[in-house]
Amino acid sequence: MLGTLMIGLREGLEAALVVGVLLAYVHRIGRRDVAKRIWIGVGAAVLLSMILGAILTYGAYGLSFTAQEAIGGSLSILAVVMVTWMVFWMLRASGDLGADLRGQVDRALVGNGWGVAAIGFVSVGREGLETALFIWATTRANDISPLTGFLTAVSGIVIAIILGWLLYRGMLRINLTVFFRWSGALLIVFAAGVLAYGVHDLQEAGFLPGPFAPPPPEAGAFVAAWFGESAWAFQLSHLIAPDGFLGALLKGTIGFSPEMTKLEVFAWFLYLVPTLTIFLRASFAQERERAARKIAATQKGTP
Amino acid sequence: MTITHPRRRVGQTLTALATLAGATIALTGCVPNAAPDAESIAVTASDTDCAVETAEATSGTVTFTVQNDGSTVNEFYVLGANKLTIIGEVENIAPGASRDLTVQVGPGDYFTNCKPGMIGAGVGQAPFVVNGEAVETSQEDDAVIAQYIGYVKSQTEELVPQVQEFVDAYQAGDDEEAKRLFPLVRISYERIEPTAEQFGDLDPKIDYRKPGALEEGIPFTGFHRIEQDLWLDAAIANYSTPEKDHYPKDDLVALTPEERAELGDQLVADITELKDKVAAPDFTLTLADITEGAKGLLDEVAAPDGKLPGEENEFGHTDLYDFYANVEGAQVAFDTVRPLAEANDASELVTELDERFADMFALLDEYGSYDAGFVFYDTVDETQRAELAASLSALSEPMSKLTAAVVK
Repeated sequence: MLGTLMIGLREGLEAALVVGVLLAYVHRIGRRDVAKRIWIGVGAAVLLSMILGAILTYGAYGLSFTAQEAIGGSLSILAVVMVTWMVFWMLRASGDLGADLRGQVDRALVGNGWGVAAIGFVSVGREGLETALFIWATTRANDISPLTGFLTAVSGIVIAIILGWLLYRGMLRINLTVFFRWSGALLIVFAAGVLAYGVHDLQEAGFLPGPFAPPPPEAGAFVAAWFGESAWAFQLSHLIAPDGFLGALLKGTIGFSPEMTKLEVFAWFLYLVPTLTIFLRASFAQERERAARKIAATQKGTP
Repeated sequence: MTITHPRRRVGQTLTALATLAGATIALTGCVPNAAPDAESIAVTASDTDCAVETAEATSGTVTFTVQNDGSTVNEFYVLGANKLTIIGEVENIAPGASRDLTVQVGPGDYFTNCKPGMIGAGVGQAPFVVNGEAVETSQEDDAVIAQYIGYVKSQTEELVPQVQEFVDAYQAGDDEEAKRLFPLVRISYERIEPTAEQFGDLDPKIDYRKPGALEEGIPFTGFHRIEQDLWLDAAIANYSTPEKDHYPKDDLVALTPEERAELGDQLVADITELKDKVAAPDFTLTLADITEGAKGLLDEVAAPDGKLPGEENEFGHTDLYDFYANVEGAQVAFDTVRPLAEANDASELVTELDERFADMFALLDEYGSYDAGFVFYDTVDETQRAELAASLSALSEPMSKLTAAVVK
């Protein structure tokens, strides 16, 4: 029972957190109308996932393993690109907004808000298909009461949504400058996690070198180090149970899995360190600039 | 003219991308699900085991229904022959729940594995064999395979009357005629031997030598048993040499007419069975069978009990006929796949193999021909054998690259 709950939690957490941050964003800049569009994006993703999941489970055709992993992997990478782009767009927009943020934000918001909605769609849809397949299969299973199985899985997702909502509430309470900085930073951290297991999916599908393929014949030592057993960076599943609460939480937030390949860790760092550095530097620079402008304005005002 | 707002355009692009990614799900990589009444292979996963109902399946779409009877979330994997490559996996199988994994597999060796708690290397790893025909082949491949199968058929069809004629002479007690026919009757067999070896029990009955039969504990029958009887003096002398003195000598006596009749009839029956199996509608080969078979033929010449050391026909010393036939068989296989190798930009390899085959045949021609007869191999001295070995390994080396050049 707990296992079923954890599956729902793990699969739902990261999507719920991203959506929570997105909603906090549009709320803070006073675009409630965009919030509606995000919900449309999320709703569409849930609906599409459930429909596709049902078709693939009960229909005449299922998805080949390679296709499943390839779609999951490439949607992950698409999600990372979109989130990164949005974070920097927001940074620039909030810079342009000047003193009275709420008043001027109506000019444009990521293509009338549909861009943000698309991010919500991809973030949910990415995990959605796998979750839907799992939920339908659980519903179909005979050995446990289908309803119990279904409700437990959904409970996990509900817990994920509550965590996303708590993040949303917390985000609303913090000061606006700090909000933009830390919500952006959070999204970058989430995105790094998404990237890491996007890479993992592509490794499983055999599109990227990894522990699921032997080194090519006549490969040098450098190339061989990315294949087979030596492709693992660490395997800590004996310390952190992947099906436990901590495992689910770490996986759903920062994308940490107890077993990670070198390429995953490499991609995680390669994305996170420069992106976060550039973002935080720009954010702090913006704050200093704004403070300086304020001082200049005050000085101009005094004779 | 309307100028699209750049930011809006970015948003539209992203929406389009998302839609595209969504559409991809519907359009690519579909595999047929099992029909409701279709058979699926039951897998019972527990915390310590991974019991797969059957370890065999026919190529094509295979569905595993994985029931998790354990206490923790499980995963089920189908791995490739290297135990690494993931052919298919189904994750998130909750305790008490059951999930299906549908994979499309071609013939070959696989492994099944469960990973309770999603931890570590998993439990219950077991071999899983898929039989049947390759899932996908191109028309060109099919044509090449059909052509080669046609060749194998023609060889086995020639073989049956030839063997009958040889056996008739042997059973009639016409030893001179039987000795003359012995190397000739083996030609067709030696050209296609790797195919016969595919049928497992046939080649041991037809073509095993005495040490091989003793080692596997099977009766010593077939061509070489008859050879021993025809050249009995040579066999007695051979098995008195220090290196072979430990072999039993109780069979080094002339066979009675009844024993000859039984032995000969069995050889005819086995050869006929080979012909029938090759002619069966479901008999098929893969491209790799053909190219690896070509390499296998050359390896048989060089093997420690093969023709090069003079062990194949240790009593009759007619090894050069077999040698020649093996090389001919390899060349036919190579010629059959030649267009595929050339289409795959392996023209250099093709040219090299042509030259090496020409060298090999030129050297063998110095020792005779099927019509004029080859010299007995015990008259070929060490220097000449070394020369034959050098020519053969010069041919084997490029031949080992043929599979990679043909099978893409």
